[in-house]
Amino acid sequence: MTRLLVLSVLVGAALPARAMDKPEMVKLLAEIDDRQRNGGDYKALVYLEQKEKDKADVVREVLVYRRDADDKLMLLFSKPKSEEGKGVLRLDKNLWTYDPGTGKWDRTTERERIGGTNTRRADFDESRLAEEFEPSFVGEEKLGKFETVVMELKVKEGFDVAYPVLKLWVDKSNHNILKRQEFALSGKLARTSYYPKWQKLFSESKKAELWFPGEIRIFDEIEKSNSTLVLFKTVDLTALDQNMFTKAWLESKSR
Amino acid sequence: MTIFDPILWLIAFRSLVQHRVRSLLLGAAIMVVTALLVCLAGIYVGTKTTLLVSATTLMSGHVNVAGFYKSTASSSAPVVTQYKKLREIVQRDVKGLDYVVQRGRGWAKLISDTGSMQVGIAGIDVANEPGFLKVVNLKSGTLEGLKRADGLLIFEEQAKKLDVKVGDKLTFAAPTFKGTNNTIDVTVVAIAANIGMLSSWNTFMNDDGLRQLYQLNEETTGALQVYVKDVATVRQVQEQLRKSFAAEGFELMDNDPRPFWAKFDGVNRESWTGQKLDVTNWEDETSFVQWFVTILTVAATTVIFVLTIIIGVGIMNVMWISIRERTREIGTLRAVGMQRRSVIAMFLTEGFLLGLLGTSAGVLLGVLISTLLTGAHVVLPKGAQLVLMSEQLVVTPTAGWLVFAVLFITGTITLISLIPSFLAARLKPVSAMSHVG
Repeated sequence: MTRLLVLSVLVGAALPARAMDKPEMVKLLAEIDDRQRNGGDYKALVYLEQKEKDKADVVREVLVYRRDADDKLMLLFSKPKSEEGKGVLRLDKNLWTYDPGTGKWDRTTERERIGGTNTRRADFDESRLAEEFEPSFVGEEKLGKFETVVMELKVKEGFDVAYPVLKLWVDKSNHNILKRQEFALSGKLARTSYYPKWQKLFSESKKAELWFPGEIRIFDEIEKSNSTLVLFKTVDLTALDQNMFTKAWLESKSR
Repeated sequence: MTIFDPILWLIAFRSLVQHRVRSLLLGAAIMVVTALLVCLAGIYVGTKTTLLVSATTLMSGHVNVAGFYKSTASSSAPVVTQYKKLREIVQRDVKGLDYVVQRGRGWAKLISDTGSMQVGIAGIDVANEPGFLKVVNLKSGTLEGLKRADGLLIFEEQAKKLDVKVGDKLTFAAPTFKGTNNTIDVTVVAIAANIGMLSSWNTFMNDDGLRQLYQLNEETTGALQVYVKDVATVRQVQEQLRKSFAAEGFELMDNDPRPFWAKFDGVNRESWTGQKLDVTNWEDETSFVQWFVTILTVAATTVIFVLTIIIGVGIMNVMWISIRERTREIGTLRAVGMQRRSVIAMFLTEGFLLGLLGTSAGVLLGVLISTLLTGAHVVLPKGAQLVLMSEQLVVTPTAGWLVFAVLFITGTITLISLIPSFLAARLKPVSAMSHVG
């Protein structure tokens, strides 16, 4: 009987991991999205450290404002002095950048890097994985000491995203993303991001906990020497000024 | 005695010979000014010609059929759909057509193992680009390589910056016109000598490769570059094409004489969607460097004007001195029956002869200096290279400019001689003959 038990344990261990079916994966993605969605207002103080070959490291301080209920997003740079007052604002489906030096607004797209770093709009916005992507199961993998589920996500027809294919490593125990790879249309790996630290806050508007990454380490896989460290220093979920997601408000901050 | 009287010319010539030191000094000054005018004209013509040849081969046709496609009101792509049909219209309606080529257009990050740079990409079908080889001076590799889908031609300056040589692999990373990031691995198949501004930001790759990067279909391209046999007909061709496309039902943008990349903001602000064509000429597409040619023209004109005034004042002074020295001679000539008109003609002839000899020598000197400067392959300063699209100074004065230099300076000198000639003619024979000094 004992032999039988040992044998069944060994066989069980040798068997490949059970593949998640599609509804399970969609459910998991929806859960990941929901955990990071606030519903109400959101403000975060973020440090961005950019490393590039043959250039001095640059650290930027940026305030991220979100109103998830209306899909609103705004970024306002506060440091260094040369970047002060620069901003990014999403109005409907357009992303606008503002430069107080010229007083000019420029329309940008998903592909644009934020403030010259490797970050993109999606790194600061609410997560929409279940809405935008179709998942497929890759397998299970040990990432350091963490057991993870690995999924490949392909963009759904009709959605404009920066990278059409993603690969996610999701912590099996708490369903946090630990690693994310983004692939260009050609299939070439373009970006790898690591999420070593997740934090949570109770959200009054959501009446539940809100999860956010405390740190993201982004590595440019095409220009290998470039990387960005994103540190979320503080997150505040109290209500923001009703009229602040406007060009006028952003412009007023640099006057 | 009229201006056509050989005696008058003989007197003028002998007077110049008699006062040879003064004549030589003045003649030398006229010669130098003429040579300067010839050289400045040569630089102007050389610059404009180099710019025309480089620009119209590398970045623009004589006339371009381009435009924007807008999938939404606020996003535009610099592409032309149905380009094959448009090419048929061009071939059917353009009189004096030399040839027409299609060029893809892109803007991407070019990445090597050691560095990266943002560059413009022109997608070319090298087999159908007869003018390309004439302008591009290859330092290594061959243009044959551009027939490969992953073939890339870069310039020396870019090769140095990216630390690559022929055969090395690079990656282009760019968003497609729908906004999705894409990449393509390319191989450096040729490195060309720098061609001014283009060398800093432009590259050439196989058109199929560019289509792959931007996910364009077979009916779409960046622009049709139209080359005509007579460049002077460019505006008529441009107008003809606008009419032809409109007649075939294509929508056209209002004429805007700026390069295509300067139009994105304006186009994105407009509310239309779909395809609109933009028909431009080579001067529109290179208007960002045309200011340099304008400045050159203004500077050359100013220099010539100032020098002509200086020479004019000199001529007048010399004529004054001449009249003063020859007062008794004028009195004698008047006493033996020479009319006032003939005295004026005599001094005018002298001025004209001096001008003609001086400018003729100046033209010869100018042509010699121009030939030597062009032959010496003088390397231009970096700033000048950027706008001139040429590494070297090219000085090519045309026959028209040479004739103009002779006529303009000789005419000016003759006109200036009029005042002292009038004064000489007004002298009374008695007082002139008794003049001492």
